[in-house]
Amino acid sequence: MNRLHPRIQVVWGVRAVVFAIIIGVVGAVATRFTSLPPWVVGGVAVTILVLGLGFAIARYRRWSYEIRDDALYLERGVLTEIRMVVPFVRIQHVDSRRNPVERLTGLASTVVYTAGSRGADVRIPGLTDGEARELRERLKQLSIATGGGDDDAV
Amino acid sequence: MKLSPKAVPYRAFKRASSVVFMAAVAVSSGATADLMAPLAILGLATAAVVAVIGYEVAYYQRFEYEFTGDTLDITSGVFSRRERELPYHRIQNVDVTRNIVPRLLGIASVGIETAGGRETEGSIQYVSASEADRLQREIDRRKRGADTTATTEAESAAEEELFALSSSELGLAGVLSFDPRVAGILTLVGPGSIPVLGGLGADLSLSTVAVALVGGATLVLAAWLLGAVVTVINYYGFRLVRTGDEFRYERGLIRRYSGSIPRSKVQSITVEDNPLKRLFGYATLTVETAGYGPGGAGGRGSQVAVPIAGAERVRALARDVEPFGEPTFDRPPGRVRRRYVIRYLLALGAITAVVGAALSWASIQAPWYALGLLAPLVLPAAHLKWRHRGVWAGPDHVVTRNGVWRRSIKVVPYYRVQTVVDSRSIFQRRYGLATVTVDTAGSVSVLGREAAAVDVAIDNGVSLRETLGTRLNDALQERRQTAARGS
Repeated sequence: MNRLHPRIQVVWGVRAVVFAIIIGVVGAVATRFTSLPPWVVGGVAVTILVLGLGFAIARYRRWSYEIRDDALYLERGVLTEIRMVVPFVRIQHVDSRRNPVERLTGLASTVVYTAGSRGADVRIPGLTDGEARELRERLKQLSIATGGGDDDAV
Repeated sequence: MKLSPKAVPYRAFKRASSVVFMAAVAVSSGATADLMAPLAILGLATAAVVAVIGYEVAYYQRFEYEFTGDTLDITSGVFSRRERELPYHRIQNVDVTRNIVPRLLGIASVGIETAGGRETEGSIQYVSASEADRLQREIDRRKRGADTTATTEAESAAEEELFALSSSELGLAGVLSFDPRVAGILTLVGPGSIPVLGGLGADLSLSTVAVALVGGATLVLAAWLLGAVVTVINYYGFRLVRTGDEFRYERGLIRRYSGSIPRSKVQSITVEDNPLKRLFGYATLTVETAGYGPGGAGGRGSQVAVPIAGAERVRALARDVEPFGEPTFDRPPGRVRRRYVIRYLLALGAITAVVGAALSWASIQAPWYALGLLAPLVLPAAHLKWRHRGVWAGPDHVVTRNGVWRRSIKVVPYYRVQTVVDSRSIFQRRYGLATVTVDTAGSVSVLGREAAAVDVAIDNGVSLRETLGTRLNDALQERRQTAARGS
């Protein structure tokens, strides 16, 4: 099983920090207008921060993916563990993409699209730019080799 | 080919009626302080109506559709032009809708669905009713590869009626479509709200209780009647026929729908019932394609193939669409019942707490804790929930069964599987359970109506996941070989 790049923890961790700050600011404003004691707001914000950071680490530890004989397999999820099988035949197209935060941290994602209704787009985050491109190419080749995207898809 | 000339007045009427309505609202509202305002509004409205008529005439003149070798081409648009080509073999289903006025005018709207996009890909509004019928058949024939313009007489001769809804069955469909959960909610909400409206009395006298009961019963009855009427209007004159490899249905009293479902595009089929239907031995059959269903079908790309019929008949029809054999369901392990008991007790506790808090807030003295007397009911409820769950991995299909109030048996052929998701929530893990969801192509389903083996033992879940993966590849390989031999 392949792991994500450890730096993804930073991305998720930063997200948790930003979220905790927003909660803290909203709470601080609320203390001005209500009788809400400041220590409650501080406590909530700190709890959210700690939980969020813990989650970022746990998420990284639980995330893994693998290219199997005929399908892409991935495992993720902290509270709800999810194991997903995406057969190569079902791949419609593959993206590799980088959002601003990912570009800042030198990471990228690969997104696999199927015609399904639920897991229609499967995103693998926390790849290096090269890895993401490579994975995209490989999945594309595998999809073509198995005859994916032909009339059987829908 | 062009639209029916009658489309112009009807389209203009539809568009202009909203303009006229807005003008009427403006005139009748208080915004008419001086006398000139209504005249100005009338003038504007007239100009708008003229513009609408002009637009619709131009739309009619600039709309064209044409059958070519491999595609149906639709050229449309007044200001921005669009040329669209729909490959025949990509077309999922073709729907014909006739509302009341178009029916009087003898015109119909045709909707052509492919798997892409979020709306109807080819919309032809409006052509004559006979042209709509011809379009539907022509597309069907071209899809099958025959691009000769053979006579339609020979085609319709091969039509085989699979099912026609009799008026007594229609009545039954209406009566049995009732969801008992609605009654439950209404009886909970009804009596709760009526005394509050009644007089905010601090004590519940006998008369207010009586009023509450009568009111609740009336609400339930009204909901039941309304549901029945809607069902009857929707499924009036329902008929399902088969021509070759295609199913075609007609239904509707006021708005008449007719749709075609090619067998090769069926993604999954669902047999649904509720306790009432089970009691009387009836069921509903739904067929899902990757396209979009016409109005009333929930827009989930599913079409009710048979609104109601005897359970045996429904199963026979379902096997006709997908020969899945006789499923022998594996139930989840018995320990899940404990999980459901706990879940229901928590829910009941929460409801009791909310009701108690609400009543004390409204300072109504009522024995809200009496809701706790419902606690023993949790046991049979959990047992029933467990009893109605099940999964079966057959030779060519996976079949899942879920739900008590609205039990649905979903049949998915292996070669239609898109992705397989095995999820285990933190609560499921405590009991060693997993949920395996089988995703097929289709429109986005928010309600989680996919085929899912809920709360299976983790080992079984893992083997089911693997089975699905290998069977999908085997089934696809087999289909390819047959296709190669065939051509």
